[in-house]
Amino acid sequence: MDERTELAKREENMMEKSYEIPAVAPVVDIFENDDEILLHADMPGVAKENISVNIDNGKLSLSGVRKLETEGAATWSEFGDVEFRRTFSVPQTIDVGKVNAELKEGVLKLHLPKSEAAKPRQIEIHAG
Amino acid sequence: MWTRSSDFDRMFTAMDLLRSRMNRVFTDYDRLYGKGYEWTVTEGAPRTNLYDAGDHFEIRAELAGITKEDLNVKIQGNYLEVSGKRKPDAPEGYTTHRVERGTTAFSRSFTLPADVDAEQVTANLKDGILTLILPKAEAAKLKQVTIN
Repeated sequence: MDERTELAKREENMMEKSYEIPAVAPVVDIFENDDEILLHADMPGVAKENISVNIDNGKLSLSGVRKLETEGAATWSEFGDVEFRRTFSVPQTIDVGKVNAELKEGVLKLHLPKSEAAKPRQIEIHAG
Repeated sequence: MWTRSSDFDRMFTAMDLLRSRMNRVFTDYDRLYGKGYEWTVTEGAPRTNLYDAGDHFEIRAELAGITKEDLNVKIQGNYLEVSGKRKPDAPEGYTTHRVERGTTAFSRSFTLPADVDAEQVTANLKDGILTLILPKAEAAKLKQVTIN
């Protein structure tokens, strides 16, 4: 066996080798009111345990991995395993401790509450 | 000699340019693929996969944010139609910064490779993926032939 085939063989048997899945940006809607910023992201086929939401240093990163378990031969295939990945800049005024997320029908709804200091305040005017 | 080396330089610059363009091709491709998700629902047809598992077909469709009440599946012989609509889920009292997710009605029909037994079809909607299991009609199933 010459060196080249040996190398090729070794690569095939390497444990670390895992096939890469494509990453795409999920489509999102972003809303805001006085109390929070609300983000809806389409992540069809992603299970709850395969979603991660990280907020660090003003960057919000969403990642959701879809693994389809298939049976039989594909006659046609328009979607497959994919990682939904997208990063947003979030204002520092988000109360990171109170962020919560829900997943329903393949839509991730992320509530980003604003910290008390950032909420708009009505200033009362006193008559002098 | 001097001119020639600058020619080389120019060639390498061109190659660098080509390489950076090539690198961008893939991000563009990603973006295109990403864009694809926009037209899944907005432009009328969700993405689907069809698998043939011997005695049944399996159809999967990407339908994020659609409840089962808003979905219709119709079957006749080898004709299958999936239609529905996505309702806007914009909350009340919020200002909108960005809307990429479409909210329109869609319909898609298929001609399956063989007739299916419409009575035995099961449909399941989970995490935004519709899975239809379509058992093939008796006439369309493979028959084992005994050899004498």
